[in-house]
Amino acid sequence: MNVWEALVNPLPTMQAEEEAPSLPAPQLLKTDGTRPYPGALIVVEGIDGSGKSTQLYLLKRWLEIGGYRLHFTEWNSSELVKSATKRGKQSRLLTPVTFSLLHAADFADRCERQILPLLQGGYLVLADRYIYTAFARDTARGCSPEWLRNLYRFAPLPDLTFYFRAPLEVAVNRILSGRPKLKYYEAGMDLGLSFDRAESFRVFQGMIMSEYDRMAEGDNFVVMDGTQQVNKLQKKMREIAGERVDLKHFRPKEKGRAERASRP
Amino acid sequence: MSRKNKPKSTATGRKNGRGEMTSRFYGLPIPGYKDEEVGGSLIVLEGTDGSGRSTQITLLTEWLESQGFAVQTMGLRRSYLVAEDIDDLLANNAVTRMTLALMYATDFYDQLEHRILPALRSGMVVLADRYIYTLIARGVVRGIDREYMHGLYQMALRPHLTFWLNVRPEVAFEREFRKSHAISYWESGRDMSLSSDLFRSFIRYQSMVKKEFETLGRRHTFVPVDGGRSVPEVNQEVRERIAAHLGIRSTRYRPSGALAAAWR
Repeated sequence: MNVWEALVNPLPTMQAEEEAPSLPAPQLLKTDGTRPYPGALIVVEGIDGSGKSTQLYLLKRWLEIGGYRLHFTEWNSSELVKSATKRGKQSRLLTPVTFSLLHAADFADRCERQILPLLQGGYLVLADRYIYTAFARDTARGCSPEWLRNLYRFAPLPDLTFYFRAPLEVAVNRILSGRPKLKYYEAGMDLGLSFDRAESFRVFQGMIMSEYDRMAEGDNFVVMDGTQQVNKLQKKMREIAGERVDLKHFRPKEKGRAERASRP
Repeated sequence: MSRKNKPKSTATGRKNGRGEMTSRFYGLPIPGYKDEEVGGSLIVLEGTDGSGRSTQITLLTEWLESQGFAVQTMGLRRSYLVAEDIDDLLANNAVTRMTLALMYATDFYDQLEHRILPALRSGMVVLADRYIYTLIARGVVRGIDREYMHGLYQMALRPHLTFWLNVRPEVAFEREFRKSHAISYWESGRDMSLSSDLFRSFIRYQSMVKKEFETLGRRHTFVPVDGGRSVPEVNQEVRERIAAHLGIRSTRYRPSGALAAAWR
């Protein structure tokens, strides 16, 4: 029995529990405006057809051409949950809760293995859709906002969030004219809003837009008018990005050979 | 609800021990469900690896069925949606703690919505081989914030009875070793780098989980059961508690020939 006790007692390893970085930390360290990492995160949000992806693409091109150290990431299902999502969608077994959790698991993987390490490594990360997509869409589906806020507590908060806003009809027509075949969940058919997919999509997008509008102030969205001319809007976007994020921090150093060598 | 199988006890979830009104759900109900629709009885067996849970569940199922109760079981990694995907992730060790925690949450809620709630609605007895407590404990020992984990399972149902089969890690080790003649990567918590010595790692990991169960037991009023005793002794104690809960008069039970081997 003493042998066992000797083995079990040197358990002060359990004290390591307090020292180990506990996970939903990045956001909590943010209250004083500082980040526990040298990188920066810029995200775009908005309903489908609001013009956000085009604008982020142009911002990315501008920075890429300038040689900035950046990484682009999308709110897409990765390999990790692809089979589960496919299984769930095919049999239409996804509920608001499991739909939300699968996306969160997928995002957690991207966050822990990609976004957070890149931010720690001093990258400028550009994200096409971020946690607010989940907040808006899953709240529209009936999940509790408090539950969702807790669920994504491990995500680093953006330094800058652009919210692209276009009138519902404009945005929806942009999508419907170019992509006539809407998928079941994409159209929000699981909510039983309408038997007509296009009509269901319209109503669902409207619900998502109300959720975005509700978050705009509390989550410091920079609201962008998605009906403006593309190049004018991009000019504005670049200006704001330059004001709000210390871009020169991510610019290549002219003479720093070591810096250049370390770049991928 | 089928009258025949309706548990005779007052449907708990109305009042807790202090006479306060409580919901069947810990926090908010699952979207689309109402509290009063949930009948039946949810009975949970918790305990670390090698605590004898699965054996007891098999025996209890037979006993309850012999008493005329319809039984549904649940456990970890048994969902249609993501069980296979979790198996793959575990096999490849290619997963981070947060992603794994969220995949397990998806697995849990898929079973809750598609298996447990339908069973409870039709008045069945649900026997859970592990529940949210194992999942919370595993997350917490890996450094995920305790309140985060509790928030994640806010929409779980409160069990009517939760048994905690408490065994010392060294007993668990012996049983697990006898069962499979090897100790698995995850059972010994090797992802946590506690010790390169497999045996020490197992003891430390299981001790950490056990400690977390003690914390959980205070918060959620577990019925502690000394799991170190023989199968018939443990079964007797658990049976008596369940009989009292369901209003079964006789607690006499002898396993059928098919299960006789487990009865020692």
